[in-house]
Amino acid sequence: MAIRFMDPKLLEGIRQYVNNDPEFRLASKFVIADILLGVGDSECIVKIREGSISEIQLNPTFMDAWSFYIRSTEDAWNKFLLPVPPPKHNGLFSAMISQIFKVGGNLEMAFSYFWAVCRMLDLFREVQNN
Amino acid sequence: MTNIEPTTGKYIRLTVQGVEYRVYFEESGQGIPLVCQHTAGSDCRQWRHLLNDAEVTSMYRVIAFDLPYHGKSLPPETLEWWKEEYRLHKSFLFDFHTEFGKALGLERPVYIGCSMGGHLAPDLALERPDIYRAVIGVQGTAHSGHSTEIWWYHPKVSNDFRFHAMMAMQSPTSPEKYRRETAWEYSQSAPFVFKGDLYYYFAEHDVTKTAENIDTSRCAVYLMAGEYDPDANPDEGRRLAGMIKGSKFVAMEGLGHFGMCENYPVFKTYLMPFLREIANTD
Repeated sequence: MAIRFMDPKLLEGIRQYVNNDPEFRLASKFVIADILLGVGDSECIVKIREGSISEIQLNPTFMDAWSFYIRSTEDAWNKFLLPVPPPKHNGLFSAMISQIFKVGGNLEMAFSYFWAVCRMLDLFREVQNN
Repeated sequence: MTNIEPTTGKYIRLTVQGVEYRVYFEESGQGIPLVCQHTAGSDCRQWRHLLNDAEVTSMYRVIAFDLPYHGKSLPPETLEWWKEEYRLHKSFLFDFHTEFGKALGLERPVYIGCSMGGHLAPDLALERPDIYRAVIGVQGTAHSGHSTEIWWYHPKVSNDFRFHAMMAMQSPTSPEKYRRETAWEYSQSAPFVFKGDLYYYFAEHDVTKTAENIDTSRCAVYLMAGEYDPDANPDEGRRLAGMIKGSKFVAMEGLGHFGMCENYPVFKTYLMPFLREIANTD
């Protein structure tokens, strides 16, 4: 199944959906980060600015900077985004320590902003199944 | 109308390895003592559902404590603990359980522990088989071979990280209110405690080559593993059980790393056969 947060036709709706979530707004209140999400060979950068996603940029180039990345295969993302994900795919931390998802770059920032990142991914799961 | 739970909380002064600690514990019920060991970086609140389960407390005197530095058990008053790195050691756990049982006058108690408490189950059965008549290890393995511990205590990474990391250690089918409660407890320990506890979990616990020496006729061994635990998963639990002749193992579907507090009704369906068997073996 196609990953919806990588679909150019759905990006604006997804951005608004996440930004309307009260927990995400709370969790991202102090977050300033550009998060590269990699799904197989496809990539996007989610830009979070103090309480909301300001932009989801598809197909970034080498000129586009990012703070940290979360990468995995399309198959793993599809499992992660299932309504009831299988073991080791049910959350960023479990997928990370199982080495199914790769997280890299500025880890200090990634772990400092873990709540906002996890909530955003939970909302991407809702979007994927809505 | 009052609605007071049967669980009571008390403090006891315990001397362990020459240091006095003021230790908090809760208890409920009558019968065979069942001593509950919390996970790393958390406290005895994880066992609140077991403490309030009349079916269990009609058979067992359920007792759950906060280890020193955890929950309501403060650091000791006689040590300048702020001048040294906190690390939990296996020898301390052994001596603590010995002294705790003696102080309460527990006769042939039963042990249950989760995560680092699950690791402690085979360690107790192997090296201190006379403290407990039986040990129940939840999410225990022979050895946890990897560590992410540097990020568990970092001045720029808050307790939020622990909270949301632990959310992912639980089953998505467990009620959200209890998954959040379990993570809440993780977000409340002193900043360095979880990392210090993991020293025992990652560095000291290793029964890979010794588990086969456990004599289950002296101390019976029961092992439980939830399918959503990315580390101490059923494969690891089954592997440990295979090393211990006479042990019993159950894989728990729909549970993660914290069965007793993330979804107690499901956890209970797996636990009760073990508790009944231990009681009937007496």
